[in-house]
Amino acid sequence: MALIKVNNLSKRYGNKTAVNNVNFDFERGKCIALIGPNGAGKTTILRTLSGLLKPTSGTIQFADEKENSDIRPHIGYLPQYPSFYGWMTGREFLIFSGELAYLSKDEAKKRADELLKKIGISEGASNERISRYSGGMKQRLGIAQAIIHRPKLLILDEPVSSLDPIGRREVMTLMEELKNEMTILFSTHILSDADEISDELLLLHNGEIVESGSMDELRAKYQTSKIELAFENDLEEYKEKIDQLNIVSDSMIERGLLHVTASDISQARKAILETASQEDWPLTTFTINRASLEDMFMKVVNK
Amino acid sequence: MQFNTLFKKEMLENWRNKKWIWVPLVIIILSIMDPITSYYLPQIMESVGGMPEGTTFELPEFLPAEVVTMTLGQLSSLGVLIIVLMSMGTIAGERKSGVSELVLVKPVSYKNYILAKWSSLLVLVWFSLALGILVSWYYINLLFGELSIVALLQIIFFYGLWMTLVVSLTIFYNTVFRSSGLVAFLTILTIMTMSILTQIFGTYLAWSPNNLSSYIFEAVLTESIPSELIGTSIVTIILSVGLLIGSFYIFRTKELAN
Repeated sequence: MALIKVNNLSKRYGNKTAVNNVNFDFERGKCIALIGPNGAGKTTILRTLSGLLKPTSGTIQFADEKENSDIRPHIGYLPQYPSFYGWMTGREFLIFSGELAYLSKDEAKKRADELLKKIGISEGASNERISRYSGGMKQRLGIAQAIIHRPKLLILDEPVSSLDPIGRREVMTLMEELKNEMTILFSTHILSDADEISDELLLLHNGEIVESGSMDELRAKYQTSKIELAFENDLEEYKEKIDQLNIVSDSMIERGLLHVTASDISQARKAILETASQEDWPLTTFTINRASLEDMFMKVVNK
Repeated sequence: MQFNTLFKKEMLENWRNKKWIWVPLVIIILSIMDPITSYYLPQIMESVGGMPEGTTFELPEFLPAEVVTMTLGQLSSLGVLIIVLMSMGTIAGERKSGVSELVLVKPVSYKNYILAKWSSLLVLVWFSLALGILVSWYYINLLFGELSIVALLQIIFFYGLWMTLVVSLTIFYNTVFRSSGLVAFLTILTIMTMSILTQIFGTYLAWSPNNLSSYIFEAVLTESIPSELIGTSIVTIILSVGLLIGSFYIFRTKELAN
């Protein structure tokens, strides 16, 4: 059974449609990435799921709750630019968040200390005011406050986009750990991040979901691997020879490389390498270039 | 329980940002300014050069009840301004900074959220007011004549109702607008409009909250509680509670993020 099911969700501001008839659902225990360029509607979708925005039309159903019921007890949310009470200490803020989510005072304290350890904020730092925290610390504190009540679904809006490489790595590691404990839905415009930790992708463009599926499914669907070749001497001569091999769907010469596209890449590789060794071609480069997520994204968006 | 958490947070916040120090102080200063300057006016005039020779200038003798009215007059102008400025961002500011997103995405009841803001402000305002009027009462007793403890309590209680209305009005506009400047402006504008309406349609609006001060004067002077004071108090309480309930409804319809 789906953990969350979104039906025909739309969000309009006046004439402007931020999210247009979006449908998706996902299972418990997955890590789902919502990918799209800036302004695609990622934040709007996440805010609507978390209850901060009201959908113009459509429904959101969480597990076996009623449609459009208040699902806030089951979710944890970290906005793109979290802002805290700067006058509170990190520990105080976590206890406050926990108590708001109906943890008892003792439970909230215990959970806060446990999470502070987990997110790597030292005891000294946890008793300092949040206004003195670095960006990375704030982001980790933001994740901690989102999971303090052990939500079933953790929603993270661009959790790593604004961080430096070290902060980014820390947050990614944390997310990797949390994947085992809860379902995670996060948005990003950095495709490699999505590639790294998500099981499933939702590609969003102009407020619509244009493609979705697991990483491997999408790879298979948009796979257009190319073989890139270079030789010690003239490429034209070998281009003709390769075209005659009857395995190639397209070939062209660009920037000193011979690019070969084939429908069956393993067969093409075999044929080329066999011929090359029989005829003793002066091969200097042989690369199989798999389509990156970037290529795939451009392809889907430009469709 | 959730209300307690939110209420404690408000109290702690007002303690850490020193509101618990400066608000009572300012209210005390405003409360005793008029009693003291009126009493020492002859000496003050003397020290700044005195009157031209030959002028005889009779300074009026003030009754304690009149001095109470002066104190309340200060509180009604500058005091109200201070209270509005202090509470103009209590919700609007949190929404603007975005911290309300973190709070309200937890299973927080909007009613508790607003109620905690309202009641923590009232505790601070009533405390400051009680302190200010107490000190003013002390000086009135010392300098102008006797004023009973019953009168003191009456002044605090009935004037506190006016301040409660001011706080409720600020909370109400806080739930409507995201800009704290606009909240302050509209609160002051509403109070001014109420005051003008009360003056123009005085006969019909005998129970307008703006009349609280004058009925308090009457009560202190006659040492009895005029029936208008009771009626006005009831109207003030109903308006405050009505604004509070209105805030719950408005906040519920608001989107909590841009």
